[in-house]
Amino acid sequence: MPLDSAVVLAAGEGRRLRPLTRYRPKPMLPAANRPILEHVLDALVDAGIDDIHVVVGYRGDRVRDHFGPTYRDRPLTYHTQKKQLGSGHALLRARDALKGDFLVVNGDEIVGSDTVRAVVDVHSPADTCTLAVAESDDAPLYGAVRLEDSTVTELIEKPGSGSYRLLNVGAYAFSPTFLATIDDVEREEGELALTDGISRVMERGGHVRGVRTDGMHSEVTYPWDLLELAATLLSVDASNGVEVSDSASVAEGAALYPPVVIGADAVVEPGAIVGPGTAVGRNATIEAGAVVRRSVVDTDTRVGMNATVVDSITGQSVQIGVGATAPGAPADVRIGNRVHEGVNLGCVLADRVRIGGGATVAPGVLVGPGADVGAGVTLRDNVDEDAEVRG
Amino acid sequence: MCGIVGCVGHGDDTLDVLLDGLETLEYRGYDSAGVALVGDSLIVKKREGRLERLREAIETSDRPGGTLGIGHTRWSTHGPPTDANAHPHTDESGRVAVVHNGIIENYQPLRDKLEADGVTFTSDTDTEVVPHLIAAFLQDGLDPEAAFRRALDRIEGSYAIAAVVAGDDRIYAARNDSPLVVGVGDGRFYLGSDVPAFLEHTRDVVFLDDGDLVVVDADGWQVTDADGAPAEKEVTTVTWSAEQTGKSGYDHYMLKEIHEQPTALRQGLSGRLDELAGTVSVEELSGIEAPGAVQLVACGTSYHAALYGVELFRQAGIPAQAFLASEYATGPAPVLEDGIVVGVTQSGETADTLSALREAQARGIETLAVTNGVGSTAARECDHALFIRSGPEIGVAATKTFSSQLIALNLLVETLAPGDRGDTRTLVSALRDLPGDIQEVLDETAAETVVEENAGRDAFFFIGRGENFPVALEGALKFKEITYEHAEGFAAGELKHGPLALVTDRTPVFAVVTGNDERARKTIGNVKEVEARDAPVVAVTDGASDVERYADHVLSIPETHPRTAPVLANVQLQLVAYHMANQLGREIDKPRNLAKSVTVE
Repeated sequence: MPLDSAVVLAAGEGRRLRPLTRYRPKPMLPAANRPILEHVLDALVDAGIDDIHVVVGYRGDRVRDHFGPTYRDRPLTYHTQKKQLGSGHALLRARDALKGDFLVVNGDEIVGSDTVRAVVDVHSPADTCTLAVAESDDAPLYGAVRLEDSTVTELIEKPGSGSYRLLNVGAYAFSPTFLATIDDVEREEGELALTDGISRVMERGGHVRGVRTDGMHSEVTYPWDLLELAATLLSVDASNGVEVSDSASVAEGAALYPPVVIGADAVVEPGAIVGPGTAVGRNATIEAGAVVRRSVVDTDTRVGMNATVVDSITGQSVQIGVGATAPGAPADVRIGNRVHEGVNLGCVLADRVRIGGGATVAPGVLVGPGADVGAGVTLRDNVDEDAEVRG
Repeated sequence: MCGIVGCVGHGDDTLDVLLDGLETLEYRGYDSAGVALVGDSLIVKKREGRLERLREAIETSDRPGGTLGIGHTRWSTHGPPTDANAHPHTDESGRVAVVHNGIIENYQPLRDKLEADGVTFTSDTDTEVVPHLIAAFLQDGLDPEAAFRRALDRIEGSYAIAAVVAGDDRIYAARNDSPLVVGVGDGRFYLGSDVPAFLEHTRDVVFLDDGDLVVVDADGWQVTDADGAPAEKEVTTVTWSAEQTGKSGYDHYMLKEIHEQPTALRQGLSGRLDELAGTVSVEELSGIEAPGAVQLVACGTSYHAALYGVELFRQAGIPAQAFLASEYATGPAPVLEDGIVVGVTQSGETADTLSALREAQARGIETLAVTNGVGSTAARECDHALFIRSGPEIGVAATKTFSSQLIALNLLVETLAPGDRGDTRTLVSALRDLPGDIQEVLDETAAETVVEENAGRDAFFFIGRGENFPVALEGALKFKEITYEHAEGFAAGELKHGPLALVTDRTPVFAVVTGNDERARKTIGNVKEVEARDAPVVAVTDGASDVERYADHVLSIPETHPRTAPVLANVQLQLVAYHMANQLGREIDKPRNLAKSVTVE
């Protein structure tokens, strides 16, 4: 039976990416100027997968609204995971719709079509599970894998240290029996990870096949990873470095420095300087004289006249006032209770933040959705959702 | 108003293609459904009720075979919805089967004549005269095409008709005042009242004109005009994809379509706004001069869009009036020589609006259609057409197309009567921000809470002033359409001239108040009037005024331009109607007694 079904796990919030995930799930965050999930679906379609199941949960409407019932003419079947109880639990939401062997990929991590193809090519009906691995120095920080020939002998989550050289890319093929196996695994605090099921298969002496791939692996954990991801994609995608959508308007007298991508209906006004390493989303506006470098400017956002935005990430419908400044520099960034030191980050402005004219946002500051920062204010600390900050 | 499908060239899949096509057309009516297939013989299956009833009936009996066929989904005009009145209708011998959308006005004398000749009728429908007429002409020795044409010559009225004859491998179809399109595939050909009926199979479409007759078989299609002369037709490729017609995992098309509004508006605005120049440019409108006066004609939700259009024209200094199309068609208002009549119709097939536009054309007045239906009758018959580009809308209750209409009317007014440069620039920016503003409403709405707090009340009133008056009317219409609860919209100032007598502590009042100008302040005065009668008040507001002080609940919208605020306020009211109907367990996408596009007068 040909392997042409895939389950995409797109139900997770991505808590460490707050406040950007306040109104959308992690798979819908911008990878350059398209959602991460769109790149994942492209990889599946390019690898010849025609039957695609998407498990949505947290803010699932945003996935449904963006993609609708099909993607590139392939039907998308949506399944809903009401409570986010792990990737294994998410997979089981699609159980009744699956017939025969099937693929599973994460909707919040970009995977290449070559990786998908590699899994499809080596997976045989005799295997309960096949997974893609890639060499990486960072393997101990992620899902680490030991491989003997083509057999996975160990699968361990974030061992932290050890001589692990291979990591689990997050692209799998399973036989239907896997569903019963994972359903049988006892939940830890109600949660069930996909890898718990794979470990169970190995415990029972089943064969788990590993296939080496050298495709792209990009895990987005923290907001600043979106900047790195954009830079990687721009260097791969943007042919000749400057990609401008047909429906965008770029004024004469605006300067675009590659790599840069300008989305549909976006406007770049005279005297604006955009790039390098910058993605401008759909219907965004970079007003006259503004400077935007190494940044992700999401859909419907406006960067005001003469504003400066460096190493920063905006959500959707953000308004940055005239002459406002968000310089980039190595900074300490507070996420929850943890402080990450020396991160190269300008600022993170969540959906619908308003930054008043002449305001300054210090490097490493996170501003919650809907927050309103008054003109001339200098922001040095994180700002909560819907807060008003006056000078 | 009914839906028609047909297909040839699908072999054993014919039945499934017909049933799937009917499913996409259920918005046109769903009182009964039926199919006729031609294989070795002619087999008809039909049932009163939803399409599911027909599917059940087919599953529990022998599956009808056949390699070509026609199908129908009905909304009753003549005779109650029963199995007998369901289409297809056949002649006495069961050789001829016919499906029909429209009204045959002279059916009574035709029926009297046929009955006098000894024909027994089995239904109450006007349609049944057609198979009997065709059978009679076949009996006279005519071939099927000639018999079909002769039958058409006898009938008067509006119709899209398709017919099949046992032992014959062709479908005969014709249109006169009711929509019918041909789908062109590879060795497979389709008929439909609407493009989505066969969108799954092909995007190549031939739009027919009134009086056209088309013969379709596995080798191709041939169109002739009313006199039998071959007619040249172009094949158009539509850009919709079948993807846009599924529910994407939502429980209802209506909610999906409410959520599609940011995308629908982006499509409607793309390429039509120039932020750099601060101007609006709409290709379709390049040939229109600024009119001396405007009359807008429309029905239902589109009429509320027309009222909003009147307000915009009035602000731009052009005298404008809106008319209910059904009234205008039979009692047209005088119009100035340099005036224009604008028909606002989502489908472009609304019979009342078409009649009103034809009435204007007959008097030599320039006409413009504002429509979602590219290739629709209104678009083709009017001198000009402005497409709202909303994409197909399946839910009977119009949502995204209303928003798209409001935006299109802004583009129209700004093109015909541009404001001063600064004003237009501000509007262009506000329009570009609108999709994101709607997303904010969708993300943050409190509509579900408002519904929970107000369920089970006696009646629901909606008030607004100026450009928010049409929003009040539309809010009430949407609410009554799908909840079946009593709802009324009023101009805020009219309350005290009568309707205030209805207001009690059991009648929530939704007040649409945006900005903080004189109109907002006066509307707040009206809010105080109802508050004094203990009515629960729900304010739909951008927070610019102090109306929240007098409200029990607030539905917030982002601050924006006065012209775009009504669009956002309306989205909140759409969500209120949806959640109330959902809580009441209503059939939201197919409210009782209603159909999507009303193609009878």
